[in-house]
Amino acid sequence: MDQKTSLRFQLLSACCGPAFLVTFVFFWGILGNNIPNPSPSLSAEELALRYQNNLGEIRLGFIISMISVCLYLPWCSYLSARLQQIEGKFPTLANLQLIGGALTVMVVSFSACFWAIAAFRPEGNPELIQFATDSGWLIIDLQYACTTLQMVAFALCVLSDKKGQAAGTPLMPNWACYLTIFCAVSFFPASLTGVLKTGPFAWDGVMSYYFPYFCWLCWETIASYFMIKDVRRRIRESKSSSASLSLEAQPA
Amino acid sequence: MSAERDTCSLSVLEKKRRHLPGLEGVWVFVTADMTVFGILFALFMVGRDQDPEIFESSRQSLNPDFGGVNTLILLTSSWFVVLAVDAVKRKEGDGAQHYLAGAFACGVAFMVSKAIEYTQKLNENITLLTNDFYMYYFTLTGIHLMHVVAGNVVLAVLWFMARARTIDPERPTVLESGATYWHMVDLLWVMLFPLLYLVR
Repeated sequence: MDQKTSLRFQLLSACCGPAFLVTFVFFWGILGNNIPNPSPSLSAEELALRYQNNLGEIRLGFIISMISVCLYLPWCSYLSARLQQIEGKFPTLANLQLIGGALTVMVVSFSACFWAIAAFRPEGNPELIQFATDSGWLIIDLQYACTTLQMVAFALCVLSDKKGQAAGTPLMPNWACYLTIFCAVSFFPASLTGVLKTGPFAWDGVMSYYFPYFCWLCWETIASYFMIKDVRRRIRESKSSSASLSLEAQPA
Repeated sequence: MSAERDTCSLSVLEKKRRHLPGLEGVWVFVTADMTVFGILFALFMVGRDQDPEIFESSRQSLNPDFGGVNTLILLTSSWFVVLAVDAVKRKEGDGAQHYLAGAFACGVAFMVSKAIEYTQKLNENITLLTNDFYMYYFTLTGIHLMHVVAGNVVLAVLWFMARARTIDPERPTVLESGATYWHMVDLLWVMLFPLLYLVR
């Protein structure tokens, strides 16, 4: 593959980040009735009624979000390739970032699938609907460590890019890397969703839902911004170097 | 000539005054972390406002001696860290190493004290599910305790660095970063202690 085509794919992959962000908020968040999300303290009957009253939206939201969440994959793939360029021969952090990103997609997909299952027979046994809803929320809220590792690996790799920093072209500024680490550890209170049904640490609470999800999407936005900026810089550099090469090749 | 020297020393002084201790990233982290705790403190106060009787009766069941001793332990450890930074700047490697060991020991003492306090509560069948006050008590102090554990790991790393004399006395950025984080852990406890144990 020539460099121009490769760079085009890289830009496309980096743009999948914002595309993921928009589709995730719209399908998973808004159509899926997750803003605000159902409280774990709802009774089985109340929860079943919630599905029955918003059935079309919820079904469409989660079915499409299971497809659109895969936009996270090309984004992670590009990110991993870029980290590999920084790391050189032993891309430990790049691999960790890739595995973490891929598993994040599976965690989000499984939880959305459980909610799609809950919406499949809304007139059925309310306790089964509650069980499927609980399963979805506990899967997505308790298994965040894959994403934490993905983000920390990314931040550490960019922070260690001495060559990029010396050249004035790091993938992200240092403050963004530290913010990434903070966002990654902001998920920890979500472990309390396994125990609590009310308050800020329940799965509909500020500390286990709104704040960590905001941090995750905030990181996604910041990282995408710097990634797209980085690819565009590399496209410009590639164009100017090929222009100078063609000038040199011209006979005097 | 002397005027020139004065200007020169003034600019050096200004530089010293403007110097941000540690890495800028640590300050990003500290600001974000303090914001989260700020939100948590606000949520606690809202919860307290909604159920003042339960919060007050539960607060009275806490032993303020534990909170007071923990405050003293953390203040002492912060003092040790300040002395360690000062010792490194004065190129007294041994002193820095001993002060860091002191700060680390204080961190361990805090963890032991917290473990005893938690055990007492659990033995009385009080958990984070008992009521909203204890939910906040266990989660806030638990999250703070995780910060203490992380801080102790940092202090241990700094101790090894001080022993190997790899901290640059002219620019002890890593040490200052660790110290900044540790002071934040201390400050958070100084706010948590009155909030949970003392506010009537």
